[in-house]
Amino acid sequence: MSGAASRSKRGWILTALGVVAALVAACALAIYAGVYNFAADIPHTQPVYWLLETARERSIAVRAADVVVPDDLGDPKRIASGAGQYAEMCSFCHLAPGMKRTEISRGLYPRAPELRRGGDLTPAEEFWVVKHGVKMTGMPAWGVTHSDEILWDVVAFLRKLPELTPDEYQALVKSAPKTHDEMMQEMESRPMDHEGH
Amino acid sequence: MRKSVFASVVSGTVALATCASVPLTSAVAHEEHQMECNETAINAMNADIQSMDDGDAKTTAAKEMQMAEDMMTNKDMKGCEAHMHNAMEAMEK
Repeated sequence: MSGAASRSKRGWILTALGVVAALVAACALAIYAGVYNFAADIPHTQPVYWLLETARERSIAVRAADVVVPDDLGDPKRIASGAGQYAEMCSFCHLAPGMKRTEISRGLYPRAPELRRGGDLTPAEEFWVVKHGVKMTGMPAWGVTHSDEILWDVVAFLRKLPELTPDEYQALVKSAPKTHDEMMQEMESRPMDHEGH
Repeated sequence: MRKSVFASVVSGTVALATCASVPLTSAVAHEEHQMECNETAINAMNADIQSMDDGDAKTTAAKEMQMAEDMMTNKDMKGCEAHMHNAMEAMEK
């Protein structure tokens, strides 16, 4: 390569590096200056929201791909058990048929999806979310404290939830075989079954 | 005489300042939710709409909220209230 071409190429590389360095410095300054508002009562801009939503959905989809879904999610006993857990653990944020919006549901950001309206997640993805939670949201990782069996009961109920009227929901909750506390005591008396996903 | 005039002026000024401090943006937008037409309430509803699944309800609600914001900018609080109410109706479908 001739001297002039070599110098020209080096110049371009240095310019590119300079631009990258300037961008990194600008980002660092913006972060340190607290430019981006993290208040939960001010929504993300639409492009930021789209980016975060897409990244989250893809992350869940990829990681839930290996989850093996039990074939008895339609079992009424699972659904009844899941209803009891949902009422105790989930309804304050995700609401339930006939339930008015709670203070926490109005203040969370991103909003906890109203699961009574249904959703796009597959059973495997629902299980993954319930078990592992979602970073930087109010969604806890219930798998830290609950067995996979209990979490699948919740998923079984979630599949049924959008069909329920308020009265049907209440009846299902009342028919739960155990309260949340009874289920936790039973679970604590034996090792938790986590199948590695 | 001077003291009573002075006292009247002071108390009148205090009364005027008190009235002026009442938020001019108050307008109840939805009887159930008792929301006011202000930036906090509008941001809250926009966050609700953002989390909705795409569809007609979301599109309608978003349009109504845009109109509500325009009304608030133009200091038309009744108009803002009406559009916020329409947005909430659309969201609850």
